[in-house]
Amino acid sequence: MPRYELALLLKAMQRPEMAAALKRTIEALMERGAVVRNLENLGERSLPYKISKHNQDHRRGGYFLVDFDGPPTIISTLMDHLGRDVDVIRPTFIKHPVSKTEECSGIIPVNYEDKLYTKKK
Amino acid sequence: MAAALVVSSRGWGKLRQILAAGKGAGASCAVLWRRGCSSQQEHVSHNEDLPIQMENPYKDPPKRCVLCGINVDYKNVQLLSQFVSPYTGRIYGRHITGLCGKKQKEISKAIKRAHVIGFMPVVYKDPTFLNDPKICDIRHPE
Repeated sequence: MPRYELALLLKAMQRPEMAAALKRTIEALMERGAVVRNLENLGERSLPYKISKHNQDHRRGGYFLVDFDGPPTIISTLMDHLGRDVDVIRPTFIKHPVSKTEECSGIIPVNYEDKLYTKKK
Repeated sequence: MAAALVVSSRGWGKLRQILAAGKGAGASCAVLWRRGCSSQQEHVSHNEDLPIQMENPYKDPPKRCVLCGINVDYKNVQLLSQFVSPYTGRIYGRHITGLCGKKQKEISKAIKRAHVIGFMPVVYKDPTFLNDPKICDIRHPE
């Protein structure tokens, strides 16, 4: 099962309502057979630009990050489901970024002459 | 004719004698000429004094760009904002940022992702990051 990351923007609400919205989302995930690994709260901050969703304009929102493993077939159904939820401003599913700090070998100087001539065939 | 032949043969013989004598003397001279020539150094290779082929030991380590070894993430808005214009929010090109091909592509992709997801503003640079250290070599008109 591939690992996904759900970057969730929720409407700026009071704590109990926010908690209820999160609970709903995670239950929806688990119902469809996803295994939730981690839930991170990135804080409530003002959005970078005004987002209009569900006939409302939002300027502030709560940022959450849900780390989960699940089958790829549930993604489209979940996007549908979260799109209909009034409290969710913007749900985005991403493949979990594998943080690999590969040993960067530095900038290798390119031989421009070879690049210029070998293509002439 | 016979006389001439005799003379020539005699001449040849003398020549041969001279050559033989000369050769002996010449050989001994040649032997003395070579530096420190003794029976032990008969198998001296001619390449002893030539430089040994090796990789340049004074070579500089390959130049690294600013992000070599740093993981680029779309959530790291402060890092991404350093490669974006403060006035228009446009992503700087490779000739300005000085990044290597891989990292420039990664940064570009991460910035566009952050725009869509709603982490980073599109048309301007987040004011809280305006006083960050300048990495890019941009010369704004003053």
